[in-house]
Amino acid sequence: MADAAPQITEDEFRRLADFLYRRTGMVFTEAKRYYVERRILDRIVATSSQSFAAYFAYLRSGLRDEVEHLINAFTVNETYFYREDHQLACLSADLLKERVATKKPGDAIRIWSIPCSTGEEPYSIAIWLLENWKDVDAYDIEIVGSDIDTRVLDAAMEGVFGKRALMRLSSELIGRYFHELDDERWQILDDLRQSVRFSRVNLIETKETRAQGRFDVIFCRNVLIYFDDESRRIAAENLYDSLLPGGFICLGHTESMSRISPLFEVCRYSGAIVYRRPQELRA
Amino acid sequence: MSDVSRKRILVIDDAALVRTYYRAALEARGFVVEEALNGLEGLEKLLLEPFDLAIVDVNMPRMDGMTFLQTLRAKELPVSGIPVLVTSTEAKAQDLAAARRAGANYYLVKPISQEMLAEYAAMFCGAPR
Amino acid sequence: MPLIRKPSSPVESPAPDGRAISELLATGSDDERWNAARSAPMHPDAVPLLAAALSRERVERVREAIFTALAKIGSSESAAVTLPYIRSDDAAQRTAALDALRAMPAAAAEHLPQLLEDADADVRLLACEIARAMPGDDASLLLANLIAREGNPNVCAAAIEVLTETGNVASLPSLAHCAARFPDDPFLAFAIKVAGDRIGSR
Repeated sequence: MADAAPQITEDEFRRLADFLYRRTGMVFTEAKRYYVERRILDRIVATSSQSFAAYFAYLRSGLRDEVEHLINAFTVNETYFYREDHQLACLSADLLKERVATKKPGDAIRIWSIPCSTGEEPYSIAIWLLENWKDVDAYDIEIVGSDIDTRVLDAAMEGVFGKRALMRLSSELIGRYFHELDDERWQILDDLRQSVRFSRVNLIETKETRAQGRFDVIFCRNVLIYFDDESRRIAAENLYDSLLPGGFICLGHTESMSRISPLFEVCRYSGAIVYRRPQELRA
Repeated sequence: MSDVSRKRILVIDDAALVRTYYRAALEARGFVVEEALNGLEGLEKLLLEPFDLAIVDVNMPRMDGMTFLQTLRAKELPVSGIPVLVTSTEAKAQDLAAARRAGANYYLVKPISQEMLAEYAAMFCGAPR
Repeated sequence: MPLIRKPSSPVESPAPDGRAISELLATGSDDERWNAARSAPMHPDAVPLLAAALSRERVERVREAIFTALAKIGSSESAAVTLPYIRSDDAAQRTAALDALRAMPAAAAEHLPQLLEDADADVRLLACEIARAMPGDDASLLLANLIAREGNPNVCAAAIEVLTETGNVASLPSLAHCAARFPDDPFLAFAIKVAGDRIGSR
């Protein structure tokens, strides 16, 4: 493109917006228009596309994960402690209350974070429950973190984090659950590190997901949105299989089961949409 | 800032062109319009925000219109009583009957003119079940 | 500090073998049939087993798993087995079959030309949606040819919907021709105008 300031027409913008909306559920309002256009132009340049039409054809073709690159251009994929904490609030205020309705003290509660990346999410769950759930001592809580990438799992097991990862935590929380290493790095206390189990799991491999057992609550955030139709179906079935009847699954805040699978019931708690494996029917 | 005097309609149809066509008609009449492309997304949006009317097509992926309607009516939440217009390419008596059984307030056969859609929307917005 | 729990060891559950799969698909409980369907793609000759199971299956969740297994196999045979269900009187079954075909675009694409010429307008309508996932300009060509001669306006509408995404400048004449053939249909006029604008000329 030779022009100094190439533009995207309104029609071109709508065409791409409709495509992404269908694929991901993301809605681009007029307010976001300028921001989104700049990201699209970045991708046109990055892919050496000669025109918007050429880029759009390339995007549709599914070659080289361009859809993933484009989605990443719009989303902040940083991981940090207490990210999307309204879901953690929902966990302690609503979901666990439902789960323990049929449990007795001392029973197990199993929570899965997949993908867990470098551990921020499973450790956040642990800290949140210790801080906010009054019944945290009454049950046997097991938290499992899984990822396909063994390097991030190694990092998660080490439990060392920098300032950015801890930016949402108060200094009180940091003081309580971390000890400071040199040069602005903190490590999760051993007790807490030992209390989360990490495992390598590929979400579309049934053997691997099944080996983790069944859970009361699963956090599966910001990964399904990148899968193609076939992989989404398989992953959704694996997740269903990994839930106890009546168990819950939380997706990322821009994600929806409406783009993924009809298997789950949709529920609303405390302003969050959560999905549920149906309860077992009495015979 | 939301304008509480304006009625809000949720348009649920798999086809982007149909949603755009309905939106043009309804916005011209002063309605606020939101969209969903299948029954599951429709349910989610109804659970999160207040609406005065839902217009839902029968044939959609992941969760079709009838399943949407049955699930909505079965939920026993305040939103479960929202008026719902069903749209379809079919005009057979059994399809109308099925829609009524599922809890539809009315059934419109495609193609629907923009004028007619806006008329029915105005008629049913705020109608009691 | 509470919350410490000795980590449980991973659960081993062996996948059922081929003969077991066919038995479980026929006579197992809902869960057993569901699991058998999911394990089926590992075995040769899975398609006939899945086809037989599909014809009997009444539980939606199991039916979904059978369709997923067929999509995973993604062969011409598995598409052929899935296709008849888009004719079903049951909307949920049609939807499930269509979703499965969408998840196996290459296998479904082989059948597309004849689906777009099916005697049943509903089949032609659903077939347009399958075209969306087809690679390159193939979809546009087939759909442009369809709207040049299609008599049912709802089928045209379905084709135009997909062309709005997949179309190129070569599709424009067919769109114009379609508009001329249905001068009194307000939705088609609207749809064709939008499709033309979106496809554009750049």
